Amino acid sequence: MLALHATWDIDRLHLWTESSVLPPNVPPVRGRPPKRPKPRPHPFALSGDDLHDEIEIVFGQRPSRIERRTLRLPATRRGPLPSPWLIREDYMPDEATGLLPWDVETLAFDPCAALDLLLDLPAHPPHGVAFGSSLRFWIETAKLSLEIVAREQFAPTVRAGKGVWVPVIDEEYSERVRILSIAQPPICRALSQSAGESTEDEDPSPHELVMSFIENTVDAFVRQSLETTDLLPPRRGRPTKVDPLPRQFLRAITTEDPSIDAPAEALASFSDEMTAWLDQLRPATPNAPFRTCFRLEPPSCPEDEDRWMVRFLLQARDDRSLLVPVEEVWKTRSETVTFLKRSFKNPQEQLLADLGRATQVFPLIERSLQTACPLGLELKTEQAYSFLRQSAPLLEQNGFGVLLPPWWEKPGARIGLKLKLKDPLDESGRAISKGIFGLKSIVDYDWEVAIGDGTLTEAEFRELTYLKVPLVQVRGKWVELRTEDIETAIEFFEERREGGEMTLKDAMLLGLEAEGQREEQGLPVVGVEAESRIGDILKSLSGKSKIKTVNTPPAFEGVLRPYQVKGLSWLKYLHRLGLGACLADDMGLGKTIELIAFLLHERESQDKPAPTLLICPMSVVGNWQKEVEHFAPSLEVMVHHGAQRLTDRDFAEAAEEHDLIVTTYATAQRDEAALSTVHWEHVVLDEAQNIKNPGAKQTRAIKKIGAGHKIALTGTPVENRLSELWSIMDFLNPGYLGSARGFRKDFALPIEKYRNEERADMLRRITQPFILRRLKTDPAIIDDLPEKVETKVYTSLTPEQASLYGAVVADMLDKIKSLEGIERKGLVLATLTRLKQICNHPALFLQDGSPLDRRSGKLIRLEEMLEEVLAAGDKALIFTQFAGMGAMLQHHLQEKLGCETLFLYGGTPKKKRDDMIQRFQSAGPPLFVLSLKAGGFGLNLTAANYVFHFDRWWNPAVEDQATDRVFRIGQQKNVFSNKFVCTGTLEERIDQMIEEKKKLADAVIGTGEAWLTELSTEDLREVLTLSRSAVGTGD
Amino acid sequence: MANGYWGYYKPAKPKEVKDGIKAKSKRGTIGEKWWSKRWIGVLKSFNMGARLGRGRAYARKGQVISIDVQNGIVEAKVQGVRSRPYDIEIQLTPIAGDDWDKVIEAMASKAIFAAKLLSGEMPTDIEDAFAEAGVSLFPKTRKDLDTDCSCPDWANPCKHIAAVYYLLAEQFDDDPFLIFKLRGRTKEEIIDALRVRRAQATGDTKEMLDDVPVDDIRPLEECLDSFWDAGDALDAIVVDPAPPVVENAVLRRLGEAPFSIGKANLASFLPKAYEVIGRTARQKASGELDEERYWDDQEGQGCRMNLM
Repeated sequence: MLALHATWDIDRLHLWTESSVLPPNVPPVRGRPPKRPKPRPHPFALSGDDLHDEIEIVFGQRPSRIERRTLRLPATRRGPLPSPWLIREDYMPDEATGLLPWDVETLAFDPCAALDLLLDLPAHPPHGVAFGSSLRFWIETAKLSLEIVAREQFAPTVRAGKGVWVPVIDEEYSERVRILSIAQPPICRALSQSAGESTEDEDPSPHELVMSFIENTVDAFVRQSLETTDLLPPRRGRPTKVDPLPRQFLRAITTEDPSIDAPAEALASFSDEMTAWLDQLRPATPNAPFRTCFRLEPPSCPEDEDRWMVRFLLQARDDRSLLVPVEEVWKTRSETVTFLKRSFKNPQEQLLADLGRATQVFPLIERSLQTACPLGLELKTEQAYSFLRQSAPLLEQNGFGVLLPPWWEKPGARIGLKLKLKDPLDESGRAISKGIFGLKSIVDYDWEVAIGDGTLTEAEFRELTYLKVPLVQVRGKWVELRTEDIETAIEFFEERREGGEMTLKDAMLLGLEAEGQREEQGLPVVGVEAESRIGDILKSLSGKSKIKTVNTPPAFEGVLRPYQVKGLSWLKYLHRLGLGACLADDMGLGKTIELIAFLLHERESQDKPAPTLLICPMSVVGNWQKEVEHFAPSLEVMVHHGAQRLTDRDFAEAAEEHDLIVTTYATAQRDEAALSTVHWEHVVLDEAQNIKNPGAKQTRAIKKIGAGHKIALTGTPVENRLSELWSIMDFLNPGYLGSARGFRKDFALPIEKYRNEERADMLRRITQPFILRRLKTDPAIIDDLPEKVETKVYTSLTPEQASLYGAVVADMLDKIKSLEGIERKGLVLATLTRLKQICNHPALFLQDGSPLDRRSGKLIRLEEMLEEVLAAGDKALIFTQFAGMGAMLQHHLQEKLGCETLFLYGGTPKKKRDDMIQRFQSAGPPLFVLSLKAGGFGLNLTAANYVFHFDRWWNPAVEDQATDRVFRIGQQKNVFSNKFVCTGTLEERIDQMIEEKKKLADAVIGTGEAWLTELSTEDLREVLTLSRSAVGTGD
Repeated sequence: MANGYWGYYKPAKPKEVKDGIKAKSKRGTIGEKWWSKRWIGVLKSFNMGARLGRGRAYARKGQVISIDVQNGIVEAKVQGVRSRPYDIEIQLTPIAGDDWDKVIEAMASKAIFAAKLLSGEMPTDIEDAFAEAGVSLFPKTRKDLDTDCSCPDWANPCKHIAAVYYLLAEQFDDDPFLIFKLRGRTKEEIIDALRVRRAQATGDTKEMLDDVPVDDIRPLEECLDSFWDAGDALDAIVVDPAPPVVENAVLRRLGEAPFSIGKANLASFLPKAYEVIGRTARQKASGELDEERYWDDQEGQGCRMNLM
């Protein structure tokens, strides 16, 4: 894997990379370390050429060049320590002995290319790549640069004789720059300024680095944006030899070449004047304890509707609620005064200076400055409006305090629309009670123009507009009348007296979004009122009223926990409304049995519903069969999968005769045409994150399969993965979230890239009706849930596993005839071990070091489940009885899941063992593989709340003891134990026996495998031979 | 040394100058701003008659070869009819140091002076500030103005002086501080003095925003334990690339630039730039500039790197 780092050097960004496949060490230097060590090549940093190729593959072609830099990194005598993101198996945690200089080859980007790269990087790095903290740091800083430009907070000036653009860093930006500087990881300062000679004073500070980055990238971005814009006016008259300075300056700030050609003296004076001009943007006296503050006060009595007042005040900088009237300032005679325990020098002068500065953006002030001791100034309504719209924000940017009336910019203080959603009426005028099915159902609506709290009739509204003022008082409250709003409202009155129709989809979007968030024809929708049925639906869907609970279907063989009954009822409710549903409960809460119960319920309340198609990963097909068999034996299940599966008509006919058809994603893609010929009551996706790539062929094929209703099951936190969320919603309720492109612009980018809370909140509100997600940590769930939830995970063998398994059994049966006594016993025991190895992984049996991916049903399922564990930020233990398997798991999981995985076995030295346990229990790696013998008892590993038993032990007490590493004092969460069982194999047989014996006396079964050796050959054949259901073909 | 005896006057065309300084104004008055007009007004009060018009014509034709404004003195060369250009000196009685201090004091007491001057405007009541110190910014009487020209004309000021005088007015338009320079203080001296006064008035000015105090930085050598750690704040920084609240906010705050191109102020060329740039950045932020790869290419992005 690769760990990507970034460093900023004066005017360019350098990327460099550690690679886990390069050797970790350098040859040791003999003798005493030199006082000033010479830089040596970094042993595991990628070469410039390789780095260039990698970046091109993953992030596309970008203009860059290869350079070489020296970095001071924590190191021992053996070499630099890898960064925390580089997972190396051969890495032994080591204390750094100090900083040593290392040469790395870098990919250097000019400011513009650097900004592009940083802004384009995906939120989650692709597989096999990790972003180091330095890269993440510059990504965040790049976003700030972009914001500065987007908000047009930059200005042209002359620096070092060149025409450049500089960011305008006001108080608020300066605070964010400060926060960024504090958060900067030290690695960002690792660049040696001059090889070996660096001294501390030369090193740029975090703040200097951030400012240098922002200044360079802002200037570069601005220049690039102006590439095709010509600001210069056409020249009149004869051309002069050298352009006058202002003309040259304009060219210098708009083209690639920033230079200005002029005699040094002229340039210097030009530069001085430009700087002086720009100095006006400096905040007024940022360090005084008080700043000047302007407070707009609406007319105090109705008779004086046109008399607004801007009052001058002093506002304490450290506590903005402390205000001093300027009368106090004018009264004082001494140089220093004390207001509110803050001493303040020359307040009169500062106030005057501030008022003078304020005239630039609030020219009306000049009028008030004609008096000796101005307290404020009066404004007419028009002027007050212009103050609110224009001057106030500018005064704020200039660093002044501004206090505006509380109603300003609030949703109610503007013209808006109020919608009234109505139930559709039949011919006789009665509300139609049926008719809502699916998002395309039609809903009638009326509307009214709303201002403030109330609504207005057309006459009232017109009366207001005759006043022709931008601010009016309606029922005692001030309201803004924008010209464009008035025009739209009049159009509304003229064109839509009658109201209209909209789809349920639009009604839902309007009803669910926050007030004033959505605009309809240019006017904000300030309220939605819904009549009985529509209102009930909206209330139920948004969780404001409860959905009617249904009873557990009698045919269900088991007990549903209360939250599972709720899940069942919810599925039923959404189905009735024809709305696709995503059940996204945490792993272990029982989504599978909720769906099974739902299918049973449907069969009780409805006469022979059409069959349901369930699409799931290969790795859980067996599990579904098992669960249905266990909880709902009355359901007819057909697995559609493998070479012998039915085709075309045969399939369609067989499907009609079953309740549930289980197929895999790969098969569904291949057989899309055949699957589409059947009328499905539901299409259900299990592990719905499999369709997270909207562009993937599989996703597109699966979305084509039609159904009356759609359900998605997933345990990953969909709300955090927006492309996945969109794709799942697109499957469930096509069109509801709009196009992929629009969704990306409106939600994915603002939320994932810019952490826009408002957008995230709105997305949560509009998707919430379709997603039921209960967390295992929800208080309501915890009460329902036992502290320890044990689940068996049934998986199938891959064809490779099955053929190996068959061969080993056949081989044994062949040999056993000629053996007796000890030899016979030995063969049986050896065979048992081999079969268990094969169930775990072919490579464990073959011992050939071959690659592991996609060859073991268990391993595939384990990866899937661990992904959910990691996504939820949880930690897990994985127990196996084979040390060899443990090593393979560690290697494979690190590689596949990209997170460090610990491994403890009998041969682990005590010091290392303690170190691992300590790391796991603190913030360290989230996955811990343990051999059952070495880790099964004594240890305290309560940081984990998931336990996976990768293979079975004959003695359940041993398994329980292992599970108890997690389930013991100090455990704060519910514990989920998952026991893996390969269906149709020896493992399942063993599991059945354990269960039966458990039922008898809950007693311990013998002491292992000895009893098996006593079985007759016939019995052995029966116990060991693979049953037909065991194998799944490659998925 | 030809034509100079009483009563004989032969109007002669002055020699043409190649790169002379030409007045920008082609007709009408020279000097647009009120303070330049005020300056010309002083010249007019000297009752120069026709010489004034001839001086203006000289200024427009480009007869003035060079003007050099020093503290309290202007040195210029003007090409007349003779082959050698005439040397001209215009001297203003410098304002004494203590008087300047008083003027600065008066200017510092009202913010409006400094603010306007820095943005290239002469505050309208600037003369009050001088009056308060008992002096006058513009020369009041002939005595305040000492002019000299090497031409044979007996009249002083002569047309050459007038030409220089006009061109000075235009320079004042662009840079009002030149007037102060003529009275003995350069722009830098005034700004510095005002800054000092203002600093006295408001405390420390050294700390501008560019050098906000940053919390103590540990030397890299002491960061071994946290070498790769970013602060938690990194994940909490919110960025909102939204449009500006007020259009052209920065330009409004800046006001007119101290320079013009042709007749238009430099700042008037910039709104278009802000609009284009801001829009580009917002498009970039909203993903409108990206190629179509977000949704379709994810399968590609999932591919593993070569070197693992």
